Amino acid sequence: MAAGRDGYDVIVIGGGHAGTEAAAASARLGARTVLITPDLDRIGQMSCNPAIGGVAKGVVAREVDALGGVMGRATDASRIHFRMLNRSKGPAVWGPRAQCDRGLYPRAVRRVLDELEDLELVQEMVSGLIMDEGRPRGVVTRGGQVVAGRVVVVTAGTFLRGKIHVGGEAGVDAGRAGEAPSLELAEALEAQGLELARFKTGTPPRVDGRTVDFSRVEVQQSHPEDYRFSGYVDEELPDQTVCWITWTGRELRDLIQENLPRSALYGGALSGRGPRYCPSIEDKIVRFPDNPRHQVFLEPEGLHTRELYVNGLSTSLPLEVQEAFLRTVPGLEEARITRMGYAIEYDYFPPHQLRHTLEVRSIPGLFFAGQINGTTGYEEAAGQGIVAGINAGLKALDRDPFTLERDQAYLGVLVDDLVTRGVDEPYRLFTSRAEFRLLLRQDNAQERLGPLARELGLLTPRQADALQRRLDERSRVLAWIRDSVARPDEVNPRLEEVDSTPLREPVRWVELLRRPEVSVEALFRGGEAPFDPEGDVAAAVEVEIKYEGYVERERERAERLREKAGFKLPEELPYMEFETISYESREKLGRVRPSNLAQAGRIPGVSPADLQNLILEVRRWRRSRPADASQEKGEAAAKAEKAG
Amino acid sequence: MKADTIVARSTPPGRGALAVLRLSGPATRRVLEKVAPELSAPPPVRRPTLAHLVNPADGSTLDRGLVTFFPGPASYTGEDLAELSVHGGVLVSALVEEACRRAGARQAEPGEFTRRAYLNGKLDLVQAEAVADMVDAQNAALHRTAVHQMDGGLSNRLAELREALVELEALLVHQIDFPEEDDPPVPVATVLERAGAVEAHMEGLLATAPEGELLREGALAVLAGRPNTGKSSLYNALLGEERAIVTPTPGTTRDALEARVQMGGFPFRLVDTAGLRSQAGEVERMGIEVARRYLAGADVILLCLPVDMDWGEPEDSFVAEWAPQVPVVVVRSCADRVPSTDGGAEASAADEGASDVLGGAGDVPEGAGSVAGRVMASARSGQGLQELRTLLGRLVFSGLVKMDAEAPVLTRRRQREGVKDARGEVAAFRQALRDGVPAEAAVSHLRSAETALEELLGVISPEEILDQVFARFCIGK
Ligand SMILES: Cc1cc2nc3c(=O)[nH]c(=O)nc-3n(C[C@H](O)[C@H](O)[C@H](O)COP(=O)(O)OP(=O)(O)OC[C@H]3O[C@@H](n4cnc5c(N)ncnc54)[C@H](O)[C@@H]3O)c2cc1C
Ligand SMILES: Nc1nc2c(ncn2[C@@H]2O[C@H](COP(=O)(O)OP(=O)(O)OP(=O)(O)O)[C@@H](O)[C@H]2O)c(=O)[nH]1
Ligand SMILES: [Mg+2]
Repeated sequence: MAAGRDGYDVIVIGGGHAGTEAAAASARLGARTVLITPDLDRIGQMSCNPAIGGVAKGVVAREVDALGGVMGRATDASRIHFRMLNRSKGPAVWGPRAQCDRGLYPRAVRRVLDELEDLELVQEMVSGLIMDEGRPRGVVTRGGQVVAGRVVVVTAGTFLRGKIHVGGEAGVDAGRAGEAPSLELAEALEAQGLELARFKTGTPPRVDGRTVDFSRVEVQQSHPEDYRFSGYVDEELPDQTVCWITWTGRELRDLIQENLPRSALYGGALSGRGPRYCPSIEDKIVRFPDNPRHQVFLEPEGLHTRELYVNGLSTSLPLEVQEAFLRTVPGLEEARITRMGYAIEYDYFPPHQLRHTLEVRSIPGLFFAGQINGTTGYEEAAGQGIVAGINAGLKALDRDPFTLERDQAYLGVLVDDLVTRGVDEPYRLFTSRAEFRLLLRQDNAQERLGPLARELGLLTPRQADALQRRLDERSRVLAWIRDSVARPDEVNPRLEEVDSTPLREPVRWVELLRRPEVSVEALFRGGEAPFDPEGDVAAAVEVEIKYEGYVERERERAERLREKAGFKLPEELPYMEFETISYESREKLGRVRPSNLAQAGRIPGVSPADLQNLILEVRRWRRSRPADASQEKGEAAAKAEKAG
Repeated sequence: MKADTIVARSTPPGRGALAVLRLSGPATRRVLEKVAPELSAPPPVRRPTLAHLVNPADGSTLDRGLVTFFPGPASYTGEDLAELSVHGGVLVSALVEEACRRAGARQAEPGEFTRRAYLNGKLDLVQAEAVADMVDAQNAALHRTAVHQMDGGLSNRLAELREALVELEALLVHQIDFPEEDDPPVPVATVLERAGAVEAHMEGLLATAPEGELLREGALAVLAGRPNTGKSSLYNALLGEERAIVTPTPGTTRDALEARVQMGGFPFRLVDTAGLRSQAGEVERMGIEVARRYLAGADVILLCLPVDMDWGEPEDSFVAEWAPQVPVVVVRSCADRVPSTDGGAEASAADEGASDVLGGAGDVPEGAGSVAGRVMASARSGQGLQELRTLLGRLVFSGLVKMDAEAPVLTRRRQREGVKDARGEVAAFRQALRDGVPAEAAVSHLRSAETALEELLGVISPEEILDQVFARFCIGK
């Protein structure tokens, strides 16, 4: 008989960005949790570019933090270069992005996990699921261990039947360069009747920094501010360093065009679809042959290594071509490759098979998070990890599920997009996916999600205190700006600086901030503001005051969406019988089984007219089922409650 | 659950030489096997084939007709469909229809074929509306517009406008989502200009709405004038049938009469009213009240005055009251009472400047310079009626008359409201940019404008912005 482990509430498979967040969240809720991953030294490993954040992604990283997650703290503790993207635009679309030390990041993740009493780590490869009456009862490992637990979260990343390709060579089975793929687990899941598909992605070569001619590239400085992803815990920031920018030219284009047939991505050796926004250099040259140049960022892999990540030159061409094209790039003429760029293809589970809790619809107790749901990126993985982990813990503890709406968080947008719209290329977040861009900001992630985290029990007492201080600070600043008065002698010099009409009479600060040309920063920089003019609260104040009308518009739209979301669609609706709805929409509705009208409206191809008819059909259907009459009343009551 | 199979006569009832029946649904072939057993199985595709049509109950022949089979999804409804051309007349088609029902089809409800086409994604909402318009069309102009819209005329224009907005949004979104790319920012002036062009197109579409909606509803043309001026006679003459009572006694017409009629190729609701005068009995006064209400809603007014009566104070004050709001055409009626002149119509269309030339024996009315046109006409001889019809069409539908026949027209309130909302949002977007509102906020107006058009067309496709971004810009750090 195999060695057994039991007594767990939740089993998390995989120690990547999704797995670590899932395990941590579940443990913080008080569910006894075990994280199983093949190499404990690679927990939280960054498979690709060692950078966290960016536009939209940065907001996600802060949302994960606001829910008590790991990513924010690990990023603060390992970031060696920081930029606030979109700084020149309004604070509503600022995107914090950190370059991390590839070694420090996983270590920080491990340190945060080790703080958790209810979490155990086990180094093993999971090879099968133990099922009983269609529900998980535990997992078995390659090493022959049986681990019992009724709630299982799978976060196997790119490892499911992963295959990597360099050049035209036949692919090699691997989950990531140098790591074994997960074959048995893919089969075990497939045997449960789940639908699988394949995606691909690629990574660029890394080079030895000692062989780069830095006189020929442009330096990109780190922004100086003491920016924090974590609103709860002040980690110590490492020293900061610089990045560099260079450009490709015509020579590189010609080389790539000549060698296209040798590319695994292009030669057709890879069947799955790849992302359009993170294209290989092959892709860029084929699609935009007329662009004279493409940007290349040289990013340090860490403080204590000279290895550089060549961002922008993701490729699966053979080594000699990679070497040849690097030689055409200014600064990289003599560069030596330390690790080759390569492409990887892997299995994922089309996410329409999930509920908004990330539980597999057909297998209660089984949750999926991360790249296996067809997404790409650390932040997207972490975000799903925390949603799945919270719900796994809640389920194990017999508590109500937790979901986020699209107007509450990018995490809500992410999960809802996956579940209701599905994916046809590796999914990444953009601000354009969020219809409530002005509400979902990096500066207010903690105000939005912190109170929910506190209620769920995801915060330690110290974190809950930190949250309260921030909430108080925010109200204090807002009240101060709305109520206190600026004197002409005090502000006129600053108003003149930005060409704004000087004051003759004292006015309230809020009036000044309504002027388009006057920013919080311009008004308070260097002055005696009773708050940090570069901090989150200042950014929040600026958006909420300056774009009050627009923020209000979004709130109203969110309200309308909530009304639609209040119209529930029972799981068992016989969609195929709803003859007033187009056939295509009936099929889609039947497949996705949205839980409310708002979700139904977001399924591609379901038209507004279909929605109108759906309302009528559902009402008719309910009337035809006397047992269900109570539900309609419930709906009416919910409405009345809202109105009241 | 599968849809059932439906049958209905698709040509209007009447005594045409041919009648066409349509069958649609999954059992179409089975019905054909029973009703047209001579046909090969499966039946020839999209090729009219002659066959005996029989009663499946006893095999008796009902008719010999042409059967054309269209397999789904490449058919009008998207399902298997057959068209049966049979001999005209009510009886034959009713018998064949009955035979199809016996063979398993069900009588179609009104509009059901089109509804199926819409449900199967063969038509969008605007096209489906156009089909309804076409079926209802009692006038040449609406029919022409409907045919064009069914081909996607209006849908295409709306889709183009939406596409232009999506492109514009993509330009702005690209700069927000990919700040590190080295494409230069798009100048605000360019964005403003492109948004302005979209707004102008929407303006153009909206300008067609008043007349377009009249195409469906019929323009209200009201006959007015003193008692006994030949209004009812003209009403009957324009309708081509004796609808109103005509007597030599003033005050004959008491209540308003309304009828649909096509004039100059355009649809009208022609109204005869009680003659207007100050000393009138109770009933007549109520009739005058009704007349005034019609006048207030009129699209054009026909002021009647027999050629042998003098233009007087009542006409002066009538013109002074109504002409500022609605085109008033002076009809010098009973033209046959004076020796024939060249008669005919004079239009003083707004853009040509008012013309005061009145042909023939008419006196030149004082203070009537603001009337939209004058016609000498006779209900008795028919003189001038055709000119009057043409003039009315040109006055009310002046925009459509000038427009290219292919140009899209808004014919429904729903369409007008949708385009109006969209136009308002585009205008707000431009204003916001001019006021220095940053793109990430202002773009919400573009979204709303897109939504308004999407709701009109009945499509939503949220991925499109990103598709645009990726198609235009080389993204990828
Ligand atoms: C070559 C490559 C290129 C990439 N390029 C980009 C890019 O350009 N842009 C971008 O945004 N993202 C890119 N990524 C994606 C990014 O790395 C992932 O999105 C992110 O790491 C996904 O996180 P995850 O937790 O879902 O999975 P991973 O980080 O892959 O973690 C999966 C974990 O599961 C473990 N595991 C797998 N199978 C088992 C098993 N049977 N039992 C136990 N443990 C198991 C693994 O050991 C690993 O620890 C790339 C990834 C790769 C590999
Ligand atoms: N010669 C001639 N007589 C006409 C013509 N039209 C109308 N009449 C006569 O004019 C008289 C009045 O005609 P109606 O059509 O009843 O006039 P009306 O304006 O409707 O009258 P009320 O309803 O009483 O206001 C009748 O005797 C008609 O026969 C015409 O074109 N030529
Ligand atoms: Mg009369």
